[in-house]
Amino acid sequence: MSTDNLITAEELAKQIKMAAEGIKKKPGLMKSTAGYMELVHKYVDRIVTAKEKGKWVATHGTQQPLEIYEAMDVVGLFIEFWGVISDVVKLEAVPEALSISASTGTPGEVCSFFRNMDGLMHAGKWPHTDFLLYATSSCDNVKAYHTLGRRYGIPSFGLERPYYPYTPQAMEHWKNEHKRLIAFLEEKTGKKLDYDRLKETVRLSYRLTELVLEIDKLVAHVPSPMSAECFGGVLVAMRLLPGTQDAVDYLTSLRDELQERVDNGIAAVKNERFRVMWSCFTPFWDPSLLGYMQQKYGAVSVCEVLARWRGEAKWMLDPDDPLGNLAYKTQNSPGNCQYSSSIDWAGQVVDQARQYKADAAIFNNNWGCKQASGLGPLVRDELMRQCNVPSLNLNCDVIDSTFTSRAEVEAQLDGFFEMIEASKAYKERRNLK
Amino acid sequence: MNTPFKALDEMNRLTSPFPESVAVKDWKKAGRKVIGWYNPYVPEEIIHAAGMLPFEVTGDNEPVQMQGAERYIFSNSCSKIRTCWQLQLDGKYKFLDGLVSSSMCDQDKRLYSLWEYYNKLPYLDLIYAPRKRDEEAVKLYLADLEDFRDRLSLSQLRRIPDRDLADSIQTYNRGRELMKQLYELRKRDHPPVTGAEAVEVSKAAARLPRERFNELMEQLLDEIQRTGREIKKAMRLMIIGGDLHNTNQIANLETLDVVVVADEMDIGIRRAWGQVDTTLPPMEALARYYVLGRPVDKHNWISDGRLEFIGEMAEQYKVDGIVSEDVRFCTYNGWDRFDLKKQMDKRGIPILVLDVEYGENWSGQMKLRVEAFLEMLQNQAKAPTGKSPKK
Repeated sequence: MSTDNLITAEELAKQIKMAAEGIKKKPGLMKSTAGYMELVHKYVDRIVTAKEKGKWVATHGTQQPLEIYEAMDVVGLFIEFWGVISDVVKLEAVPEALSISASTGTPGEVCSFFRNMDGLMHAGKWPHTDFLLYATSSCDNVKAYHTLGRRYGIPSFGLERPYYPYTPQAMEHWKNEHKRLIAFLEEKTGKKLDYDRLKETVRLSYRLTELVLEIDKLVAHVPSPMSAECFGGVLVAMRLLPGTQDAVDYLTSLRDELQERVDNGIAAVKNERFRVMWSCFTPFWDPSLLGYMQQKYGAVSVCEVLARWRGEAKWMLDPDDPLGNLAYKTQNSPGNCQYSSSIDWAGQVVDQARQYKADAAIFNNNWGCKQASGLGPLVRDELMRQCNVPSLNLNCDVIDSTFTSRAEVEAQLDGFFEMIEASKAYKERRNLK
Repeated sequence: MNTPFKALDEMNRLTSPFPESVAVKDWKKAGRKVIGWYNPYVPEEIIHAAGMLPFEVTGDNEPVQMQGAERYIFSNSCSKIRTCWQLQLDGKYKFLDGLVSSSMCDQDKRLYSLWEYYNKLPYLDLIYAPRKRDEEAVKLYLADLEDFRDRLSLSQLRRIPDRDLADSIQTYNRGRELMKQLYELRKRDHPPVTGAEAVEVSKAAARLPRERFNELMEQLLDEIQRTGREIKKAMRLMIIGGDLHNTNQIANLETLDVVVVADEMDIGIRRAWGQVDTTLPPMEALARYYVLGRPVDKHNWISDGRLEFIGEMAEQYKVDGIVSEDVRFCTYNGWDRFDLKKQMDKRGIPILVLDVEYGENWSGQMKLRVEAFLEMLQNQAKAPTGKSPKK
C-alpha cells in the first residue's frame, strides 16, 4: 500500500504559505484573496505549532463551540477542512488515504471526509490530536470519532443535540452538554476555563457573525461584487476560526473591499448572466471550477447554504452568560438545518434563493453523504415550486477526484446553463424577451 | 423434513398478504387506526395504549424494484429506505393512518420528510432518539416522549392514561418474555426452529395486534414442547448487521448444512431482550427501557457494548461463525466493521461480511461465498489447532 502521496501537516503549512505569497503577485484578483490564503495558512500553522506553544489539538466535527476551545488553548482541526486542503495542495493525497481506509475494511460508501481521516490515522499521517470532539448535529458518521478514538487511543467526547432544539428542556440539556464538554477538557488538559477569556472569545465570535451578515447583504447586491477566488473566505472564517481576532480582521477587510466594489460598480464579472447558489460547496477537488463558471457562463456564485445564517442571527442574548449564548449559537449555526427535516432545509434554501436572487442552484450529491442523498430531490421540487429556480444535482465525491471527472462536471454545467437560459422563468426574471 | 408449526402457520396467514394483511384488514374493519413506525426508538406501547395498531413499515420477502423511489431519494442511500418509499408509491401503505419515526438515523429522517412533503398522513410524528446511553439521554428522551404522548392524545381527542400505558407495557413485556423463551430454546444443540422461522416470528410481532401475537407465541412454545422438534445441522451460524425482512434469504442459506441460531438485528434479538420496569411510572419506565434496557445497537455512538454483546451472544449460542449482512450505505455498520472483525478474531469467531442490498434474494454469488466460508469453518474445526470457539 503506497503512502508516498500522503501529505503531512508541516508540508501542508509550507505549501500554503508559498501559495499565499504567490497569490499576492497574481493580477486581477480581489485584494482579499491574499488575506484569505493567509488565514488558511494561519489555521494550519496553529495546528502544526500547537504543541510547541503548549496548546492542545482537537480534531472535531460540526456544531462545536470553538470559542470554548479558543479560551482553553485548544486548537481546532476541522475534519472536513483537512480533506479539502489536502486536495488543494496535492490532488493525489486524498485518493491514497481513501484506499488505505478501504484496506482496513471501512466501506467506500461512508463519508470520504471521515475515510480520509481513517486512512491517514491508519498510516500515522493525521496531525497529532489530543482529543476527538463531535456533536449529533451533523450526521451518522460522527460515530467514527469514538470508533477511531478507541482504535488509536485518543479520548473523545460527543455533544448530544436534541432534535427539537427550542423546547425549554432541550435548551437546558444543550447548555448542560456544553458544561460537560468543559469538564471533559478541564480534566484532560488539567486547566480551568477562564470565564473572562470565554466572554472575550464569545464577543469576538459575535462580531464575526455581524460581519458575515454585512457581507451577505453586499454579496446579494446585483451584480454581485464577490468574485470566485474569495467565495470560500466567509466559510473559513466563520466555521474554522470563530472567537479569534484573525477571523474578525479578515472579514473586516473583506467587507470593506466588497463595499468599495459596490460603491464603485465593480462586479465579479462584467456581464453577470446567472446567480448561482450552492449547497455543500463545490467539488473541492477542483477549486478552479467556480472561476471557470464565472468566466465561461457569467455564472457568479452568490450563496453557499452552509455559510449563511438564517434570520437575524442575534444569538448574543446576555453578554454575562457566555455559555448560554454559545449554546444558542451552536443550535442556530449555519448548516445545522441538516439535522432537521428536509422540509426545513428546503425552506432555508428557498429563503436564500429569494434573498440572493438566484437563477440556479447546484447541489452536490456527495457519494457518502446520506443527508444529501435523501434530501436533494425534495429541495429541488420545493425550489421549483416556490421560486421557479432549477437545480442541478452533481453526482460526485466532494474530495475524491477519481470519482467524477472534471469533463463530466463541465458537460453537466453546459447543459444546465443552456437549459436555464432558455427557460421562461429565467427570461421573466431578467426581463428578457 | 420438519413438521410445520400450526401457530407459525397462523402467524403467516394473519400477516399475509404483505403489508395490508388479513390482520390489518380485520383491524381496520372494526374502525380502528393503524400507525406505521420504522425504527426501534418508537415505543409501540404508547401507540398501543392509544388504541391503535403499531405496524412496522418495512419490505418483505421479495426485493422491490426501486426506480420510482429513486426520483425522490438518490440511489446512494440505504435500500431499506428506498424500498419502503417505493412500497408507499405503489400504494401498499395506503392503509396507514399515521406514521412515527425517530431521529435515530439520517436516512430514516429523510424518509420521514418524504412522507411529510409528498404524502401527508393524518398523523405524522418524529421523536428524538438518543445516541448516548446515560441518564441525561433518558431525561431528554422522556421529555420528548411526553410531548409525543401529548400530540398523539390530541390527535385522538383523548388523553392516553397512565393505566392504559401500564397495561400496554405488560402486554409488550409478555411478548418479549415469550420471544426470549424462544431464543433460549435455540441455544440447544438441536434447536427447535430454523433461523428463517425465528425471523418470521419477530416480523409478526411488529405486524399483529400484540395480544394475538402473544397467544400465538404461547401456542408455538407449547407445540415446540409437545413435538420435540429438532433441527439437525452440522453448523450453527449467527446473523448480524442490517435488518433482514427477506426470510427467504435465510431459508435458502439454511438449505446448506447450517442453522441460524442467533442474530443481532433490531428486528430480532433486540425485540426480545429486556423488560420495561413495571414498578416505575410508565413513561419513565419506557424511556429507561428504550435508552438503557436493550442491548447496545449500531446507532449508538459508543459501540463498544455492541461489539461485546455480539461476541457474548456468539459464545452463548455456540456458533461456528457469524455472517454480517451489511446493507450498503449503512454508515453505522460501516464504522463498526474493522473493530468487529478484530474483536471476533480475539474470541476466535470467524466472520463473513456480505455487502447486500436490503431485501436482496439469495444469489449464486452469495451461495458461493457462504459455501467457501463454511468450508473454511469445517477445515478450522478439523485442524488440531483450530480456532473454533469453545463449546
